Order: sequence, then C-alpha cells, then structure tokens
Amino acid sequence: MTSYEEKLIRLKSKWFSNEHQIASIIKTRLYIDNNLHKNLNLDLLSEMRFTSKFHLHRLFKRYYGLTPKQYLTDRRIKKSKEYLINGMSVTETCYAVGFESLGSFSKLFKDKIGKSPSVFQKEQESRSLIATDS
Amino acid sequence: MKVSLISIPVRDQEKAAKFYTEKLGFLIKKDAPLGGGNRWLTLVSPEWQDGPELLLEPAPMHFEPSMVFQDALMEAGIPYTQFDVDNVDSEYERLKSLNVEFSVKPTEMGTVKFAVFNDTCGNNIQIVEQL
Repeated sequence: MTSYEEKLIRLKSKWFSNEHQIASIIKTRLYIDNNLHKNLNLDLLSEMRFTSKFHLHRLFKRYYGLTPKQYLTDRRIKKSKEYLINGMSVTETCYAVGFESLGSFSKLFKDKIGKSPSVFQKEQESRSLIATDS
Repeated sequence: MKVSLISIPVRDQEKAAKFYTEKLGFLIKKDAPLGGGNRWLTLVSPEWQDGPELLLEPAPMHFEPSMVFQDALMEAGIPYTQFDVDNVDSEYERLKSLNVEFSVKPTEMGTVKFAVFNDTCGNNIQIVEQL
C-alpha cells in the first residue's frame, strides 16, 4: 500500500465515515441536477430531506465545497451552455434552466462566462462551421 | 487574469503525447518547436476544446529538482494532478483494457469516486467522478 493510500484511509475515517449523511447529501445534489428548471430553494430542499435548512446548507458546503445555491447556479450555467450549443434560443434556454427573467440570466451568464449568451452561441456556431469546413 | 493552462512534468514529450492522446483521448492543441528537441506541446479535452490547456512540460529532463519532486510523488503514490470523468468504473475498465496500470482501484470517499493510474511518463494521475 502506498503512503497516499494510507493517508486516504485516515482521511476517510476522520472526515467521511458518516455514510448515511453522505448518501443524503448526494441525493440532494442529484435532485438539484434533475430539477434545474424548477424553482429550487433551500426551504424546499431541506423539507425533502426532513432536515433544517441551516443543517443542509452546512452539510452541502462541507461535502461539496459549495453552498447549494452556488452549486445550483453553476449547474444552471453549465446546462445553459449545452442548450445554447445545441441551438436552443437564448429565451428558451433561460426558462429551461430555471431563470425567471432574461435579464438576470444574461447578466449572470456574462458574469460567469465572460460573454453574453447570444455572443457565446454565435461563437459556438462559427466554431462548428469552421470544424465542418476543415 | 484567467486560468488557461496547467502543466504536467513528463520525462519524454513524444511518449507522453502518445499516451495522453491515444490512451486518455486528449487532443493536441499546440505543438511548436522550442529548440534542443523541446516542444511547446499542449492538449485539450475533446469535449471542451476551448477550455484550459494541459502543457506536457519536459522540466524533469532539464531541471533536476523537478525530477526529484516527481520521483518523490511517484514513490509515495501521490497524484500529480487529476482529471474529471463521468464514470470512474467504466474509465477504469477502458484504461485497464489498454494496459494502463492502476495503483488505486475505483474507491468512494465522501461525495467522490476516484482511481489512480501511472501515466508512464513519471506521474500518478487521479481520475475523479462526483457522486
């Protein structure tokens, strides 16, 4: 056994031994992934897991390094990139990933990706045309 | 500032390019001569070709402390870096069928599953799936 494996075993027994807790937080993450289009919030997620929202917030951050809201935002932006690349319109994409207004979607997208959804989509279309030509 | 490139030390750039493209599936993005047989050789993920580039850097051949550090990590089994995969189990089976050697089989810890393999160029590499 390598020294790395020994360290991992120690780490697991110290920090990742509560399997029930870990399984519960993984279920929360999967629920977020599968319901990006819905109006997700901490109240809803915590009710589903029969726990307090403060506890859920703390556990999610502990095991994923992000708060549920940060994770949800990252997933929505990632999914919106997939939709835009596949040709979905900016407006459809906005609502398909759970944003309630085009303005807030476009602003957040630009903050995270560095360009607006429409510019991102045009660039992807140009890339795909270049790839087809070459 | 933007993170656009990470580097990994390799003992032989040509051998590394073959391993990282033929076995791991990366694509060569840039390949320019730098003199003395060295190259500026970068790779990208096929599904994220405008994402960060991975530089295959021949540092261990030109700067001894780099080789010492790399050897120490290898001996301890510590990965030099890690790559995300969708499914560790299937990637483990795929790479095993290509004769890639693993020091850590697929293992769950907390909210991740991971495995560690030898890149044949001086490094342990970890693949990780988020659970």
